Amino acid sequence: MVASTSVVAGLLSWAFDVHLPLVYTVLGILWITPFIEYIGGKRMDSRYSDLEKVMLNYLIAVYAIGGVFGTIVTVFLAGLMPVFTNLAGIILWPVWATAIVAGVIITIPVIGMYYRTYNRWTYKNHAILGLLLAVSASLIPLMFRLVFAYTAFPAGTSITPDPSSIIGFDLSVNVFKAFMNPLYLPLYASTMSAALAFTGIMMIFGFSVRYKGLPHQDLGISVGKRIALVFGTLYGIFTSIYLYEVYENSATMAWSIFGSPPSYLPSALQAVFKPTYLLNEAFYVTISMALLLFVVLVVFYLKNNRTLGIILGPVSIAVLDLAETIDLLAHAPYAVVPPVSVAENLINTYGVQFALTVAKTLQVSTLSSTLDFLVQLINKLPPLLYMSLILFAFFNVLLIIVIYLALAWREER
Amino acid sequence: MPIDLTPLRVLSASGIIAHMSLATSFLGTIALALVLEYKYLRTKDDAYFQKARMFSVISTIIFGVGAAYGTFVEFGLVTVWSNFVAMMGAVALPFYLELFAFLFEVVVLPIYTVTWGKIKNGWLHFFIGVIAAFGGYWSAYNILAVMASLSMRPPGLQIVNLSQQGQSISKAITYLLVWSSPTQMLNMYWSGAQVFIFHGILAAVIVSWSLISGVYIYKYIRDRDPVRKKVLNLMLLPLAVLTAIQGLVLGHFQGELVLSDDPLKLAALEGMYWSGLKVDPLTSFVAYGTFNHQFWGYYSWPASIRPPTFVTFAYLVMMVGFGIVLGILALALGLDYAFGENLKRIGFGWLFKLQPWLEKVSQFLIPFSGIIAGIGGALATESGRFPLIFVSSVPTTSGPPEITGVPVSAIINVALNMPVWEVALLIIVALAIPFVAVYGIWVYVSRR
Repeated sequence: MVASTSVVAGLLSWAFDVHLPLVYTVLGILWITPFIEYIGGKRMDSRYSDLEKVMLNYLIAVYAIGGVFGTIVTVFLAGLMPVFTNLAGIILWPVWATAIVAGVIITIPVIGMYYRTYNRWTYKNHAILGLLLAVSASLIPLMFRLVFAYTAFPAGTSITPDPSSIIGFDLSVNVFKAFMNPLYLPLYASTMSAALAFTGIMMIFGFSVRYKGLPHQDLGISVGKRIALVFGTLYGIFTSIYLYEVYENSATMAWSIFGSPPSYLPSALQAVFKPTYLLNEAFYVTISMALLLFVVLVVFYLKNNRTLGIILGPVSIAVLDLAETIDLLAHAPYAVVPPVSVAENLINTYGVQFALTVAKTLQVSTLSSTLDFLVQLINKLPPLLYMSLILFAFFNVLLIIVIYLALAWREER
Repeated sequence: MPIDLTPLRVLSASGIIAHMSLATSFLGTIALALVLEYKYLRTKDDAYFQKARMFSVISTIIFGVGAAYGTFVEFGLVTVWSNFVAMMGAVALPFYLELFAFLFEVVVLPIYTVTWGKIKNGWLHFFIGVIAAFGGYWSAYNILAVMASLSMRPPGLQIVNLSQQGQSISKAITYLLVWSSPTQMLNMYWSGAQVFIFHGILAAVIVSWSLISGVYIYKYIRDRDPVRKKVLNLMLLPLAVLTAIQGLVLGHFQGELVLSDDPLKLAALEGMYWSGLKVDPLTSFVAYGTFNHQFWGYYSWPASIRPPTFVTFAYLVMMVGFGIVLGILALALGLDYAFGENLKRIGFGWLFKLQPWLEKVSQFLIPFSGIIAGIGGALATESGRFPLIFVSSVPTTSGPPEITGVPVSAIINVALNMPVWEVALLIIVALAIPFVAVYGIWVYVSRR
């Protein structure tokens, strides 16, 4: 018997772990290339335009693939937790709508336009277009990170008992208050700095792997290491703030990540907030790897060693994916972690039974298995899951080959 | 006040038709690339190689825009038709399996496109193309399985009307779908769905090939490039055969399913605008092989569940009428091109004499007929079941069969508040995005 929580968590983690590194580089390139173009134009230095061309080629090759994995995330959410996704669609619809406008309606055609108008527009105009595109693309995480923050701490939510509702209560959200979520801004700032730092490291990695002593490759490594160092430091700061807010506001996540219940959690409520997975060891491994990454980056900054540049790539992907996986799994058993203060209010106002009903409803297993036949089918036919895992692993390897082929092919042209 | 569904329905329909145009074009172009590559491998004629390569790149451009556009359609579903998502858990198997199709496409298609001339064994490259195409067709297969369930509720799928029991989920979700056992979910692929699926897939190939044929005939008239004729020879006669299979075989089976699962839709499609039972000789002959069978007329059911009357036009004129025109033109010109003056020997010299006229007409009428027939079919299928989804009929002892399903009005996002100008703007953008693919193809082809 495969636990429904594990199925949902496993499939969602996989999709996020492939999706995020791809879209982080898309975001990073969109922010970095306008500056490279502007500086290159100003100095009339062809190394900058060569560097920008390589980065734009990567952007075109990877944007659609990253988008496809975003679609996979949504299909998993809707397919595995339909009621949760349904309610999220209703109560947070402005968030989805803004992401559609920014992510698809504006970004798709403008990325094509940005690619095509390179070397046809003046460098200033093209850089301005790139900046506008970067702002538009940054609206996508600005919206979706709200959903992440909401699932960790559902700010602005009202719960009222309703006997006619089959879950026993009604849920409504004040969207304005939802944006005031204390986890939201640190998470968004951490995401954006991670995107830039990760892109910087990927520049180092990519040019170190295919190093042929070309001037634009040296420039790419030089720009990449500076960006990686500055934004890597910022990533560390913002993530620390985010973790502090998680500790203060999301009891289950804090317990899961740090390994013990937070000090403010009353012992009477510990059974309610106990996490499914204790991830403290994974968390400390991630922190250690992140520190190691930082040290390697600093050494690389000083020494420019090609081997170190190649090592940075897989280590940074591992840190990024581990951090995201921990963030996702730490919610379990909840899809939306109820705040302790809300739980206490519900107990005081409507009684323990009602509070427990709400808590039970917000769990992944309730949101997935009671109404979701796909998870039930996977439980009945586990080979469906095992086959999926084999195929996913196979496609991940192929994906790396495709990105390499696309880049190698374009470089030869 | 109830939400006016019309602007949002038009928005969703525009988005879906635009996405379908991309998906359809992908299925057609990747199939054509493979046919051309196969021809190259058998004949070693470089013209086929060049054309195969061109169509593989075109299919990749279309896929790139189409995949990103799919996100637009998907978010549209979550945002506008939010309460459909609660039901997705019950029909999620095709969506889940479609993800693997997606992976095939996104990973294997670029390999196919960038390795032309780089893999020594041509058959291996062809095989990679087959896998990439399989991804596209498997994707269409699964999405069409879901679309089939909207028109014909699969056996074993039950609708739970919470509002009838005075219940809801958070005052928003009023309908759920359940299977009596999880393995019944495999009924998403029941025999009726198979007919629907293959009817849809064939329609995609016919529409896209008719469009490509139109472009090639147009060019061939002007430059008489023999390579264009080679490509047309590979497309026109198969187009005629596929159109015949689509209408006479799959169309017939599809009609039988409509007859049993949704007689109200049948009445609307066939224009049987009467109340009670009445003989319709033509429908009777097509369905039963006799001329005296009685059918329930459109007005036998309450107005609240009757589909719009324009579906008669969409079905009879757009789909059937233009489908016949397409089949005849493709057959005639295909025979002309394939057999040329040899037609005289078998008594069809008059057809050869018609060639100049046929070419002039076909360059416009073949693509136009294909597209109109495709749109007509989609309109007839999806609007013919409106205002319900997951439709099924239950025989009654007296009166017409009872038509049951989930009302479309129940799946709208009740919290949504979009002014008409915003919807209009989104419709314009939704319809404009496929032109990004057209522009990309134009840039690529003109650079060659």
